[in-house]
Amino acid sequence: MGKPADLLQGTLDLLILKTLKLQPMHGWGISQRIQQISEDVLRVQQGSLYPALYRLENQGLIVAGWGASENNRRARFYRLTAKGRKRLEAEESNWERLAAAIAQVLAATS
Amino acid sequence: MSTIKRFARLFGREQLEHELSDELRFHVEQQTALNIQKGMTAEEARFAALRAFGGVEQIKEESRDLRGIRILNDLIQDLRYGLRTLAKSPGFTAVAVLTLALGIGANTAIFSVVNAVVLRPLPYKDPYRLVMVKESILLAGAEPIPVCAPDVIQFQRQNQVFESVAAFRGGQFDLAGEGEPERITAERVNAGLFSLLGVQPMLGRAFTTDEDQPGHPIAILTYALWKRRFGADPGVIGRTMTLDRQPYTVIGIMPGSFSFPLQGMEQGHTADIFVPMAFTREELADEGDNFNYSVLARLKPGISLASANADVEAVAYRILQTYPPQFRDRIKLSAVALPLSSQVVGKVRTLLLLLLGAVGFVLLIACANVANLLLSRAAHRQREIAVRLALGAGRARLLRQLAAENLLLALAGAGLGLLLAFGILRGMVARMPANIPRVNAIGMNLTVLAFTLALAGFTALLFGLAPALAASRADLQSTLKEGGRSAQQGPQHHRLRSALVVGEVALSLVLLVGAGLLVRSFERVLATQPGFQPEHVLTASLSLPEAQYKEVQKIRDFYRELMAELEQLPGVTAVGASTDLPLQAGWNHIFTPERSQPPPGTGLNFCWHSVILGDYLQTMGVPLLRGRYFNEQDTPASAPVLLVSESLAKRYWPNQDPIGKRLKWGPPESNDPWLTIVGVVGDVKQGPLDAPTIQHTYEPYAQRNVPASSLNVALRAAGGPTSLAASLRAAVWRLDRQLAVAQVRAMDEVISESTAPRRFTLYLLAAFAALAVVLAAIGIYGVISYSVAQRTHEIGIRMALGAQRGDVLRQVVGQGLHLLGAGVLIGVVGALALTRFLLSLLYEVRPNDPLTFISVSLILTSVALLACYIPARRATKVDPMNALRYE
Repeated sequence: MGKPADLLQGTLDLLILKTLKLQPMHGWGISQRIQQISEDVLRVQQGSLYPALYRLENQGLIVAGWGASENNRRARFYRLTAKGRKRLEAEESNWERLAAAIAQVLAATS
Repeated sequence: MSTIKRFARLFGREQLEHELSDELRFHVEQQTALNIQKGMTAEEARFAALRAFGGVEQIKEESRDLRGIRILNDLIQDLRYGLRTLAKSPGFTAVAVLTLALGIGANTAIFSVVNAVVLRPLPYKDPYRLVMVKESILLAGAEPIPVCAPDVIQFQRQNQVFESVAAFRGGQFDLAGEGEPERITAERVNAGLFSLLGVQPMLGRAFTTDEDQPGHPIAILTYALWKRRFGADPGVIGRTMTLDRQPYTVIGIMPGSFSFPLQGMEQGHTADIFVPMAFTREELADEGDNFNYSVLARLKPGISLASANADVEAVAYRILQTYPPQFRDRIKLSAVALPLSSQVVGKVRTLLLLLLGAVGFVLLIACANVANLLLSRAAHRQREIAVRLALGAGRARLLRQLAAENLLLALAGAGLGLLLAFGILRGMVARMPANIPRVNAIGMNLTVLAFTLALAGFTALLFGLAPALAASRADLQSTLKEGGRSAQQGPQHHRLRSALVVGEVALSLVLLVGAGLLVRSFERVLATQPGFQPEHVLTASLSLPEAQYKEVQKIRDFYRELMAELEQLPGVTAVGASTDLPLQAGWNHIFTPERSQPPPGTGLNFCWHSVILGDYLQTMGVPLLRGRYFNEQDTPASAPVLLVSESLAKRYWPNQDPIGKRLKWGPPESNDPWLTIVGVVGDVKQGPLDAPTIQHTYEPYAQRNVPASSLNVALRAAGGPTSLAASLRAAVWRLDRQLAVAQVRAMDEVISESTAPRRFTLYLLAAFAALAVVLAAIGIYGVISYSVAQRTHEIGIRMALGAQRGDVLRQVVGQGLHLLGAGVLIGVVGALALTRFLLSLLYEVRPNDPLTFISVSLILTSVALLACYIPARRATKVDPMNALRYE
């Protein structure tokens, strides 16, 4: 396993939305989940995570509320809204198209 | 996020702050727990978690931004903080605010004038559709001139582009009644003029078309005359008043805001009273002559100026076809339609825009000074700023905070500037020369206020941007590491400050050159010989009303008796009268000299001509160069004689004795009698002092078949002339109790009035230039003393190593000289490019006059060197021991 990759501009939003699609989660959980699933390839800088969360909240893609964490601590949980779900679908298909296109280019030039 | 939500959040700010902290703390705690699980000690785990997290406060700041608790809140906080910071350094604040106030105040004052005179639409309905119709004839040099009476009717009848056309002509009336008789300005106007302007009387009614025929002695008063002479009594409507000994019925009062004609529409003054135009039969018969009626017209909607011009030209062409063929070729009548606004403000627009430009320069210099102050302040605040950056303030946030401070400075400057402008404006309006129209409309209003506010914002940006950017670029590492030592500023900082000073010097040099050129012109004007001796001369203007002085003999008798009366007055040494006074105006006359080829390139010969009575030339002190003055032997019975000015004699009879030569009025084919030249007198400035001298002829009053009923009387006094004013009036009233004695003035006064517009511009520009130089000097002083303060250590070492005081002095002054040299050089180039805009204001001085350029450069250099010298001397006083220990 190499160095953790830097996140592509704009992909953090996609990853957050995707993570929240499974279940409402707090900031810490989101960063852990992304790291886990990507097998430590993607590491979320907290410096970008929280601003991103508030940005998404401002856009109405996610909503926040206070709840109890796994170890019963007060934590701020985020949940996807209907608008966020729609955005996620759009972003996902966008991403797939983009990824496919990049793969094609790489295949052709090899 | 919706605005409402954002707003709501503003009020829940504390809770939000709490939540933000809680959330981030939760994150760090979770990470710490994880790290402990991985086997770190508690302390290590927490430290690692924090390091991974990054700057807690920075994330908080960024998050706050996004959560919308920011904008308004920050603004209030920034302003409050700004106030505190500014209050903490009252010296800096006072200097900055005062500098800005000077710049903004001067700009506001000049803008108020420009706004009232140039920018605001004329005070009539739809002024953009108003034009003046003018004719031009070859005889008068093909310049646009007013229209002759029969053509007014033709324009009214034949045009296809105007809604209405109305003529007006200024004149004078003697207003008699209670108190002293007074000469007032009466405007003869066509009945349609008021509705054409879209103004109606506030009391009574306007003239009807029927009343615009001879035989209707009615009048409409202006508000000012109504108040002054009739105590604003509404009962005056329907009453009669005596104008030139004739009863006139008052039918209306115009509103106070109505002012007509405005400067530039017509020669002369704003009217006191209006009477119907009522063209007489004689006037209507004056075809192709007596071009004295100003014509206003309102364009039909949608008609362009170009089509209006084509139309009036076509009308003029049809008129021309009705003239006899020989006359047709010589007069070449044509017509133009000119926008009214350009007629009114055209002449002063350049002048006012020039002043606005000059005062704009002053503001730029003020901004450069404040920017410099801010830069040196930024040096002192570098540590503060670095600490704030380190504690998590964003660069944008920091910039906003500095901007708030600058805005406060600018607003304070604008506030004080408004007060200043108020004072300047009062002083300026009181001294405003007569050639500036609409002076009574000048004042502070919302437009001016908005301009000042905008100016404050603009200046805040101008002086604040560079220093703020420089400050927020502070290098954290080195600044914080330097510890207690005062921070040094990088070279780019220094370059910026130097550039500002160079700019200031350049701008003030341009202003100085402008003022210098005007001073030199003014000197030249004052040095101009008027051709007469104005000291001790008192003049007055008399006009005998036609009704009482119908017979020629009665007019002659009156003036003969008056001369005799005046000669008797104690303290009077000479008495005379003339149709025209020097420096006022004159009338072009066409003449033909006998047996003299007109100089090549000219068609007809023109001169100005005056009819004179008594010892007018002796009274005025016009020297006799050859021959004789007029005397008692020049009677209607004797051969007609003439005096000519030196320039006329030299032009037509060079190297010959002009005495005995003859000339006649009119073109070569005219049947006028030949007049014999009996003397040559000196040239007199009949027009303005700074206008070219015009050749002049004089004719004895006694030989005039139809004597002028209006004459200007001149008295030469043994002492001060004004003391004779009362006895002059008394002498006139002994002969005719109802005659107004108008324009009683000393000739000195007339001269100073004729230079008033020039003096006004000169004073303003000189004041701006002086202000600019003082500001620039302060700027240089600031930069040099700052650099001396910064280099105390270095200078100390140098002196410890054996540098002499002279070396230090030379070095510091040399630094100033560098900046100065660059500024002067750029300023000279700028001035060479800009002074041509001054051309119309200069007199006998070229816009690149080397003497002016050199002398103002020297003045500026010496002032600036003084500004360098003070801090340089301070540098030489540095005690090496102290300077080194100071570290």
